[in-house]
Amino acid sequence: MVKKKLALSAMAVLATLSLAACSSSSSKKSSSGANDNASVKLSESYNNKAKSTTAANNTTLKVAEPNDSPFQGISDPVLASNAEDSDVFAPGGSDSLFNVDKNYKIIDGGLANLRLSRKNNTATITLRKDAKWSNGDPVTAKDVEYPYEVIANKKTTSQQYSSDYARIKGMAAYHSGKAKTISGITFPDGQKGRKVVIHYSSISPSMKFSGNSFLWTTVEPYEYIKNVPIAKLAASKQVRKSPIFTGPYKLDKVVEGESTTWSPNKYYYGKPPKIKHISINVVSSNNIDKAIQSKKYDFTAPGGVMHGTDYKQLKNLKNYKMVGSAALSYDYFGFNVGHYDTKTGKNVMDKNSKMANKNLRQAMMYALNLDQVTKKFGYGMTWRANTLIPPIFTKYWDSSEKGFPLNLKKAKQLLNEAGYKKRNGSKWRSDPNGKKLTIYFGAMTGTSAQAAEYQDYLQQWHKIGLNVQLTGGKTMEMNSFYSTLQSPKQSKIDVYAAAWGLSSEPTPTQLYGVEAPYNMGHFVSKENTKLMNEMNSEKAWNDSYRTKIFKKWQAYMNEQAAVAPGSFAYTWSPVNKRVKGYNIDPSNNEFWSNLSLTSTKIQ
Amino acid sequence: MWKTILRRVLIMIPEVIILSILVFLLAKAMPGDPFTGSINPKADPAQIHHLMKINGLYDPWYQQYWNWVVHLFHGNLGNSYQYQEPVTRLISSRAANTLWLALLTMVLTYALALPMGVFAGRHEGKLPDTVIRVYTYVTYCIPFFVILVIGIWIFGYVLGWFPTTGSISADATSGFKSIWSRAYHILLPAILGALFSTVNIVQYLRSEVIDAKRSDYVRTARSKGVPNKDVYRHHIFRNSLLPIAAFAGYSITGLLNGSIFTETVFSYPGMGLLFVNSISYRDYTVITALVLIYGILNLLGTLLSDIILSIVDPRIRIE
Repeated sequence: MVKKKLALSAMAVLATLSLAACSSSSSKKSSSGANDNASVKLSESYNNKAKSTTAANNTTLKVAEPNDSPFQGISDPVLASNAEDSDVFAPGGSDSLFNVDKNYKIIDGGLANLRLSRKNNTATITLRKDAKWSNGDPVTAKDVEYPYEVIANKKTTSQQYSSDYARIKGMAAYHSGKAKTISGITFPDGQKGRKVVIHYSSISPSMKFSGNSFLWTTVEPYEYIKNVPIAKLAASKQVRKSPIFTGPYKLDKVVEGESTTWSPNKYYYGKPPKIKHISINVVSSNNIDKAIQSKKYDFTAPGGVMHGTDYKQLKNLKNYKMVGSAALSYDYFGFNVGHYDTKTGKNVMDKNSKMANKNLRQAMMYALNLDQVTKKFGYGMTWRANTLIPPIFTKYWDSSEKGFPLNLKKAKQLLNEAGYKKRNGSKWRSDPNGKKLTIYFGAMTGTSAQAAEYQDYLQQWHKIGLNVQLTGGKTMEMNSFYSTLQSPKQSKIDVYAAAWGLSSEPTPTQLYGVEAPYNMGHFVSKENTKLMNEMNSEKAWNDSYRTKIFKKWQAYMNEQAAVAPGSFAYTWSPVNKRVKGYNIDPSNNEFWSNLSLTSTKIQ
Repeated sequence: MWKTILRRVLIMIPEVIILSILVFLLAKAMPGDPFTGSINPKADPAQIHHLMKINGLYDPWYQQYWNWVVHLFHGNLGNSYQYQEPVTRLISSRAANTLWLALLTMVLTYALALPMGVFAGRHEGKLPDTVIRVYTYVTYCIPFFVILVIGIWIFGYVLGWFPTTGSISADATSGFKSIWSRAYHILLPAILGALFSTVNIVQYLRSEVIDAKRSDYVRTARSKGVPNKDVYRHHIFRNSLLPIAAFAGYSITGLLNGSIFTETVFSYPGMGLLFVNSISYRDYTVITALVLIYGILNLLGTLLSDIILSIVDPRIRIE
């Protein structure tokens, strides 16, 4: 039950992400090796030895969703575009089609099974026999196909369509409005059947993983919503007030923007849930600590945003255990080394750009004291990142990469070698041609801790003799920050700090590809393109080859330092000791069913 | 007077038109667009571009404005980009929440402040006056945000007397139970709001009462032998209400403004947060709709204040 949709991390520099998921109740792995560099080690599961009781399970499990504004209330993962909505509707099972293993690889046993055929370039999705919606209707082949119609419809409000879907035959014609249906999606035993075959022009190894951009992995209740025009779906009561689900719980009530309540879905095909009632409430992040300390909630929604300062407040609570895993996100530093050619739709490196020198970029990274900064302001919940793949991807993340630990001597040496020297008694280094060098640092306005971090970066850069200043002399509001970065050619920002939230399939082409508009630093090289292509080449159907390429890419990106890793973070929750079976490992596909309670009151 | 009111309303029309053009232009002048916040690896820029296009966001401003006006006259304020639902529905649900909270806060504020003001004025310079004055200054000095956080902590979490989030509890289904649940949820924020916003009313009232005490008509009333109680009730109180009546119109139309602080701390979905969020998300349709509503309400507020004033004080006549 990987939540497919990820909150954009652009809004909060600390990415807000959603990953709900998890594993069988009492199988405990100690924390995955995922967080070797973290100073605090959190476990992905809470190994509660107490016994659950029927009386306890008949009470209400209380979940808090820490957020400063009301949730938007779109239950449909095809249409929602934020983490809060997927958090508060999570007990419904997020309408996920497939189960996944700990690497988010799609496995059998979920609502449907997936078979990919390299020979025919098809994906065959077969629903299980007992798949039902929470109103008792069967889940049909049409329900698997309908999300594609919603996503690609000309009048949709969904942001999910990507050019990768054009690989589905007939998709381009449907997307442009020329065809009424998608010819490449067929139903061998009819729309009411259980089988869907999707025909592609070519298929990609990334399709083995949940969160890829070729295969949509949730269902839509076609019969239930077919009379609502697609443009009005997000506003309809079928999506907002009385949505139906395929997961372990059915929705009892939603109070707009505030709370949802749930009870077991008797039509659920999987493991029957034990707890009889669940309520999820939005709680202001200003007083989430107080709410937990006064035992109002059993845990905060897995994936809800909890900060390092919250950890500092809560870590010593007796009745709560802090459970977490590395987040599907990372903070990074980007360097502006080129522009985006709007005519060809390609990113182009400029040899003469201010940041074109590799030594300069590396030196700037070595000058930063990210270990100390994350320790001081993250309270153990963030730590220096060593690569551009977060450790949640246990297989792909290269733990042996060093990244950029503080090394002022090396930084200075790199600058000297490249000819960035102090000339004519100046306090600052000038560029190799002897010209004055002022570097502009773009940073988004955020918390006071972030402001302090930015000041520290500037200080460190000044230490190695680089005249770095904040763009415009101050931090930038989020919208103007991204507007500036996304303009095809800009010289206001030379280096910037930002973050990405990732889907559970980490191919980075959308972010750093030649044609990617999100490649905001415009770093392009033959080697980079080659490596990213190889991640999904024919050979990459072999998992170990794919892993090797991912590791090679991480090393290459670090060596080039055009986009450099900043920090990783935990996504974590305080869990009350009356809760049993809490486990956020991605392979715990029955997260909600595996929960039980050991006491009638929050302890 | 009706003529005057009609004239005032007619003048409001060009004012509203100018306001709406200004709002429209300023909203578009902000950097970013409703989809800037959506950049993430899963949102294809081409799709974002497509969404911008079908929403007419690339059209020249006068065309967008014209479309907006045409829709407005059909009672359609557009769809919120952020919430993906009609703006009218979104605002009306938030407005109801805000209205109840603000109404209760206002009633409590007046219920507290009026007696305090009169009492302080009556006992000018004595102990009760000092106590009330100190109270109003202290409450005026403390940032409201701090009060809310402390209030929710003590009465919500430590003592557990009041609910801490939302506008209604999830198990309140219908009828009396849901009304009670709503009332219960707004009680704490309303009490805190009332306790800490008395300063204006108390100070105005107090100084008016002090002035009135020394005026000729009070002396006349006293010398006629009118009992002290009646002097205060009929002569002083009514005349002292003038400055308060002057901003009563604004208070009434201001009920819909909402409080960002209260809404954030109590996770209470209201107008204040909606406005602020719509600005940071560049949710143009919501921003323009809200500013327009606030603008009209303010104009109405001025008018209402004048009308109230003329009722309270017969010396003032709108001509």
